[in-house]
Amino acid sequence: MDFTVFAQQIANGLVNGMAYVLIATGLTLVFGVLRIVNFAHGEFYMLGAYITYFVGTLLGLDYIAAAAISAVVVAGLGIAANRLIFWPLRRDHEFTILLSSLGLALLIANGGELLFGADPKYVESPFADEVLDIGTVTLTQQRVLVFAAAVVALIAVYLFIRYSRFGKMMRATAQNPNGAALTGINIKLVHAYTFALACGLAALSGALVGPTVMIFPTIGNWAVLKGFIVVIMGGLGSVTGALFAGLLLGVIESLGGGYISLGFMEAIGYAMIIAVLLWRPHGLFSTARGLR
Amino acid sequence: MFGRRTLLAAAAALALTIPLAGTGAHAQQPPVRIALIGPMSGTGAFEGQLGLEGAQAMVAVINAKGGVAGGRKIELLTYDDKGSPEDGVSAAKRAMEQDNVDMIVGGWFSAVALSMKEVTRDKIITVMTSSQHPKVTEEGHKYLFRLNATSAMMSEFYSKAICERIKPKSIAFMNVNDDWGRLELDNYTKLLTGCGIEVKGHEFYNRTDTDFTTALTKLKSLNADAIYVAAINTSQGATIYRQIKQTGYRGKVIASAGNMNPKLVELSGNALEQVYSASPFTEDGSAPSLKPWLEQYRKSYKNEPSFIAALGAQAVQTLAFGVEAAGGDPRAYDKIAAALKSQEVPTVMGTLRFSDKGQANQAIHLVQIQKKQIVSVRD
Repeated sequence: MDFTVFAQQIANGLVNGMAYVLIATGLTLVFGVLRIVNFAHGEFYMLGAYITYFVGTLLGLDYIAAAAISAVVVAGLGIAANRLIFWPLRRDHEFTILLSSLGLALLIANGGELLFGADPKYVESPFADEVLDIGTVTLTQQRVLVFAAAVVALIAVYLFIRYSRFGKMMRATAQNPNGAALTGINIKLVHAYTFALACGLAALSGALVGPTVMIFPTIGNWAVLKGFIVVIMGGLGSVTGALFAGLLLGVIESLGGGYISLGFMEAIGYAMIIAVLLWRPHGLFSTARGLR
Repeated sequence: MFGRRTLLAAAAALALTIPLAGTGAHAQQPPVRIALIGPMSGTGAFEGQLGLEGAQAMVAVINAKGGVAGGRKIELLTYDDKGSPEDGVSAAKRAMEQDNVDMIVGGWFSAVALSMKEVTRDKIITVMTSSQHPKVTEEGHKYLFRLNATSAMMSEFYSKAICERIKPKSIAFMNVNDDWGRLELDNYTKLLTGCGIEVKGHEFYNRTDTDFTTALTKLKSLNADAIYVAAINTSQGATIYRQIKQTGYRGKVIASAGNMNPKLVELSGNALEQVYSASPFTEDGSAPSLKPWLEQYRKSYKNEPSFIAALGAQAVQTLAFGVEAAGGDPRAYDKIAAALKSQEVPTVMGTLRFSDKGQANQAIHLVQIQKKQIVSVRD
């Protein structure tokens, strides 16, 4: 076996996997804290990429600033979506919420097609075509950035949930919403910033992955699919689970595609879900209800 | 529904009741109604939009000159096939049965063309556009015409250019995993091996893939002199060309025939510089109708004129020519079909000749990307 190719495939897999982790973290937060399965999560990823594109081309800002603005704007849109759809429905049946999120996904995706046009676009980044040689492995600066920025964002999210006052309120809400409300925690506020955090992360991943591929209004489908595979594998509501499952999925896809067949790459994710659900029905890292 | 006779009677009655209407004395003739069925939504939406724009620009050019056959305007009705055979079939049925159109333009994707042609078979003049699958015209329906060259015609021309002009010592293929991508691999493996080019290997990617680094890492490790990319979808194509450079591959890149367009060049950045392709459409062509169409297109749309748009224009021209030749009756299908099969049809991409099975002999040119422009390579 050619070691150079092997190392390259592992590196490809880790970068792709880290992007999955970033998408899945928001998805798992919303589920873990609010018990909401948000099918529209991928659309916030799409919006993140598009807003980065438009801020870059229309306002002429540089890529990093555009990505940051996009994350903030989409976090705001997340709050709006929560206020208009998920908060009013919080006492309804889970299926009602799930179907509403599906409706929201279709609305945003088709609205995007009308607003942004059907033609594919490319998010310009100064790092996209600059190649870095790390030993025998070749990566573009952008792909290194995807990995590094995701690591920073995940550490920040972890510290936030673990140590900040808001994070503690989130964990309390995850464990028992009624109990949390009784102790004086503002559940409405927890809803709002959980959505802001989740959608901001989705947008950040869209902004980071954008320059490595082309963007078009239906890329959200891809994002939410990968996100769900990772979340189910890692355990619904588990942030550490999402981290390991995402990286694992990325590497296994890349090795499977590289050494078995590319045709199987898509199937690998689904096969892994089945295997995990048979072996550990609550996901790899799931123990009990709550946010971990 | 009202027949044309009732409509004419109604129009005549209307003309009588308004004696002062118009100074031209004769009543306005009914328009020739053409259904344009294409992917207006879904992953092929951009290609559908280009085709529609091209057709609309040509309709505008023809109508501005007074229409066809002494004053009949062309009216274009749009239908969405979503790039799927089922939706293509139902759109064709709707166009024929509900909207009672005179003629149909469709078949941007082979899969849609193959199932749609069974609905329109021997019932209505149908022009298939960009589909390349040989079977679209192979079975020889009476009223069916296809504009694009088949993949066999394309590969025969392009393989010669690859062997004689691009001259790689070895080649590897990066093809989309569908009927067309597999056909391409078979064709070119045979043709290129024939002129002494070593085929080092191939990868098939999926139509839903967004990242190609895994496949390209494998292809790069084969150390082939050139990588041939068979991609129809513009967004996938652009990602592949960029990622080929990003993996550090420094060999030649060859783009599949018939899939080069200005949007792809724009999206691919510098990754397509010096890359060859083959295309029936070049902006510097010499057809007389090319210039007015290009002007109209640029005036109306912000996209750059492309092969797909030119096919839309060509479809409208073909139908207009047929109606003209049949003396202005868009329902004289036998006459129109006979005229199209026996006469040369002048279009934006040069003169077309249709075979007895309705296949056009589209002229193909070798093109190269130079300074982000698609230019034709002439000897």
